Amino acid sequence: MRHVFFLFCCLLPPASLFAQQDGPAYEDILRGFDDPERWLTYSGDYSGRRHSPLTQITPENVGELRPIWTFQTGTTTRGRGFEATPLVDDGVLYVTGSNNYAWAIDARSGRAFWSYRRDLPDDLTYGASAPVNRGFGMLGNQLFMVTLDAHLLSMDRRTGDILWDVQLADYRIGYAATLAPLIIDDKVIVGISGGEYPTRGFIDAYAPVTGERLWRFNTIPGPGEPGSETWPDDPEVLARGGGGTWMNGSYDPELNLIYWGVGNPNPDYFGDSRPGDNLYSNSIVALDAERGDLRWHYQFTPHDINDWDSNHVPVLVDAEWRGEPRKLVMMANRNGFFYVLDRTDGELLLGEPFTGTTWAREIGSDGRPVILNDGSQGCLPDPWGSTNFMPPSYHPELELFYVTARETCATYVPEEPAYTPGQASFGGVVFIEPDGTGALRALDIHTGELRWEFTYPSPTFGGVMTTASGLVFAGDHEGNFIAFDAATGENLWHYQTGSRIWGAAATTFMLDGRQHVLIPSGTTLTAFALPE
Amino acid sequence: MRLRLLAGIGLLVLALSGVRGTFGQDVNPLAGDVRAVRAGGALFRAQCATCHGADGRGIESIDAPDLRLMWARDGVDDEYVFTTIRDGVPGSIMPPHGLPETELWMLVAFLASQVEAAANAEYDGDAVNGRELFAANCAECHRAGAGGGGVLGPSLNGVTRRRAPEALTQSIREPSRQIARGFGPVTVSGADGETVTGVLKNEDAFSLQLVTEEQELRAFRRGGLRRMQRLEESLMPAFPETDLSAGELADLLAYLHENQ
Repeated sequence: MRHVFFLFCCLLPPASLFAQQDGPAYEDILRGFDDPERWLTYSGDYSGRRHSPLTQITPENVGELRPIWTFQTGTTTRGRGFEATPLVDDGVLYVTGSNNYAWAIDARSGRAFWSYRRDLPDDLTYGASAPVNRGFGMLGNQLFMVTLDAHLLSMDRRTGDILWDVQLADYRIGYAATLAPLIIDDKVIVGISGGEYPTRGFIDAYAPVTGERLWRFNTIPGPGEPGSETWPDDPEVLARGGGGTWMNGSYDPELNLIYWGVGNPNPDYFGDSRPGDNLYSNSIVALDAERGDLRWHYQFTPHDINDWDSNHVPVLVDAEWRGEPRKLVMMANRNGFFYVLDRTDGELLLGEPFTGTTWAREIGSDGRPVILNDGSQGCLPDPWGSTNFMPPSYHPELELFYVTARETCATYVPEEPAYTPGQASFGGVVFIEPDGTGALRALDIHTGELRWEFTYPSPTFGGVMTTASGLVFAGDHEGNFIAFDAATGENLWHYQTGSRIWGAAATTFMLDGRQHVLIPSGTTLTAFALPE
Repeated sequence: MRLRLLAGIGLLVLALSGVRGTFGQDVNPLAGDVRAVRAGGALFRAQCATCHGADGRGIESIDAPDLRLMWARDGVDDEYVFTTIRDGVPGSIMPPHGLPETELWMLVAFLASQVEAAANAEYDGDAVNGRELFAANCAECHRAGAGGGGVLGPSLNGVTRRRAPEALTQSIREPSRQIARGFGPVTVSGADGETVTGVLKNEDAFSLQLVTEEQELRAFRRGGLRRMQRLEESLMPAFPETDLSAGELADLLAYLHENQ
């Protein structure tokens, strides 16, 4: 070993020495779960399915699963803590926490190699609604992380040192950033938070090495641009139209399209100042990865007045659809519907309700929801929606889509807000009944029908992961990390983590021949494995 | 409407030019000002209601506290509330708010107005008699003052600072009308035939945490239960006038008011 090092250090310049130790290349991320010891991007691969091929932990032995270590941030964030998916490479976890802390952690012991904390400005605005972060992107020895003051950073993954730092937008207006950057080939793709403030959303691509911006797609069109006809003819309204892009997108390398959810129009609840459908709010957009051009879009909730952002992980699946092989994208939406679209052109193939909402029960032939209850016929799903950004999962053999559902009851009272930079402009208030419930639901992707469910005593924000051995791992608002039989819904195991599992989902990887499962919860990260 | 509100704020700011540089002061210069309360309400709905609820009562599922209860806590005064809104609560989801000082005081005035009915109430009953009534009728389940008491019901220390006399009267006369958070009555039946009644302190998909009628902390696994029933009727008995006269009720409230 020493000889090898000696050889390199003498024959090659230092830059090449680093190249010998490089981390994952784009081709490695492209191969997704091929290397069982790695988890290289937010959902494990570009498809957003969060479905691991690992099979050591099975429905038969999951009852033996036990914690092997916990990592605590040492910070005091209440209510919402870890929402990140740790990335895993070569026995090291790379994970971000609340308030823009970050760590590299030994996956065997749970001990940190380094920690990082961003020095955030005193006059920070809360465009992110909560001081959270959803994880790193990784390419080579570079990590990429967005910040609450709306910057994109690149770090050296060996030290946590900052390599470059670019501003995405001005936090003082209400912009912030929380998502895990999507790394494709030679681009770092990020979105922005701030839809509760008078802001205008976008999706950006940056060059990994230099941080140079390569393209920007604005989610709210400019005056005269396509889509602007769905807004009032008023540049000021467009400039503060909202449409945040605060949750990760997915990527189809063959079509070279990225798929991204877009958030609510602003003001959230007061729609009278923005008559029209308000594109591309509450839509999924398919962008050409090379240039950021819009290829197609589908709007789930035209003219939203309930803050039902569509910031969900798009789930990409190739499957037989009505007898033909098709490329699909699926999304369970805050508005209470489960959707299947053709991801080549955005054609709507299925839209069925997955909660008891009375807002609408069908999607019309024009692709728009048939609204039965605008709120005057009783309560609507609350502003956190029928599900939210917590990752769903898809099991390809069972053809089931697993989603955390929320059954809530809210009354919206709109009121025109003031539009002040740096101040939230919700445009009204919401009364939420205190007795909502939650459930993990398994949906048949061909019909949207409920195959099984497991109910929780309160509306829940936990994400979902599945494994090829036929397991579903989910988390609840009371802090339980839970395993189910993917086919039947039978509850096989649970562990009380001590804090809400909020927005986070499990990851799994092999290390020293043992399958590890990780779950973030509160300010703690817990690793599980079967007994040795 | 907005214009009128802004004009109102403008007038207030003029009226307040004498209180510029209010930083660090501990009394709200706008206390009780009706216009300030109204403007504070508008600010509250725009800036605070998403987490604290449109009525300020908090949203349990996101850990946002009921703001009406905070005034009864030790050390909470106008300045504390002002500072908390301005600086946020570090390490929590509660952000700082860079609003002008006048608007911060408007928010304080609005929040204070939400509990005014309780704060300004007068209690002229006989507290000494009230103490005896409390010992005889309430102390088995409630705590108040140095004498202590039972743990099945909520502590009544400082309750007259949180709730108005009308609300307290209703809770005594008709306790099932509104049952406090964390005191919902349940009956659970175990597989072995044991039946336990108590108040539900916490629950998740797998377990229940109760304080039983016998005032013991008992937890149950859902899987081991035959039945779990939420009861409509409070475990607290009702006290109609025939059992507790209007005069006795006033004495009881006067005693509770003494125990801040």
